[in-house]
Amino acid sequence: MIEIIREERAKHGMERIVRVRVVNGALSGAVSDALAFGWECMTQEGEFKGVALDIEDAPLRVACGACGKEFEPEDNSYMPCPTCQEILGHDILSGKELYIEEIEADVPGDTDEAAASGSASCPRP
Amino acid sequence: MSKTVTIVRNVLEANERRAASLKDYFDGNKILCLNLMSSPGAGKTSLLERTLADLKGEFKMAVIEGDLQTDNDARRVAATGAQAVQVNTEGGCHLDSSMIQDAIAVLDMQGLDILFIENVGNLVCPAEFNLGEDHKVSILSVAEGDDKPEKYPLMFHLSSVMLLNKTDLLPYVDFSLEAASAHARKLNKDIEIFPVACRTQEGLEPWYAWLRTARAGKR
Repeated sequence: MIEIIREERAKHGMERIVRVRVVNGALSGAVSDALAFGWECMTQEGEFKGVALDIEDAPLRVACGACGKEFEPEDNSYMPCPTCQEILGHDILSGKELYIEEIEADVPGDTDEAAASGSASCPRP
Repeated sequence: MSKTVTIVRNVLEANERRAASLKDYFDGNKILCLNLMSSPGAGKTSLLERTLADLKGEFKMAVIEGDLQTDNDARRVAATGAQAVQVNTEGGCHLDSSMIQDAIAVLDMQGLDILFIENVGNLVCPAEFNLGEDHKVSILSVAEGDDKPEKYPLMFHLSSVMLLNKTDLLPYVDFSLEAASAHARKLNKDIEIFPVACRTQEGLEPWYAWLRTARAGKR
């Protein structure tokens, strides 16, 4: 994560990073609480000190192996189809993902930002 | 004032990139690569010992052994005559694709038919890290309980094969082959399931038949 954030910081000319938003699927294998704790440890000091981490837990979403009905099982172990009650052979549609969705940061000279703050008319060197 | 920049990048993308280049390498050299995963003690090394001994006349095989410490397993596997390289993760709970790149650099890959990767004993993290393999193979021993595929869904979802090992212990444990199979098929309708007993060498032939078919698919 740190490597990706460094790359994106350089690419977009970010200065202070405020917040990183991560999407963690129910079946990704990564535990959100552990991720949050690890992030807290990593951001005590150094270049990312104080940067917030928002974790969005994405549910498991499957298509029934018998009738194709798309649904989100209430738990990951017993997952009967709400339409036909089938419990076997469901296809996973989403829930395995683990990705950085967005980074909130100060980006100097950004046109949208400049317009919003009323400084669009300032001459640029 | 700050601005939000949309990124959408897989946290494990560095591993995925290396795994893709390993997959190209295995495909280009027509090597069948299998990633063996289980909890500690389920019988990965025993399965390899039997498989390497029984099929050594048919295939040229090599093994990458992943463990936290020691080279005990690599020595067991090497005793069958197969090439083996030990990767010690020094506390790491899974293998990643950079470790596989390092390991194949020291193996003689010339003319290899099958490369087995014995992952670190763990039902969670190994499933998250692709190693460029053709198939993931999970091993569950009957002493562990038949609800393991339900508790660790990702590993069994991603596996092409589940071996149910130590069936010689079935009279002594409360383990249902049917229940374990049903749990694994919830999120993996195509998984191949082979009950085996490595100790007594029972039930191995269907596993060998699967290996031969998978191997033939790489030519």
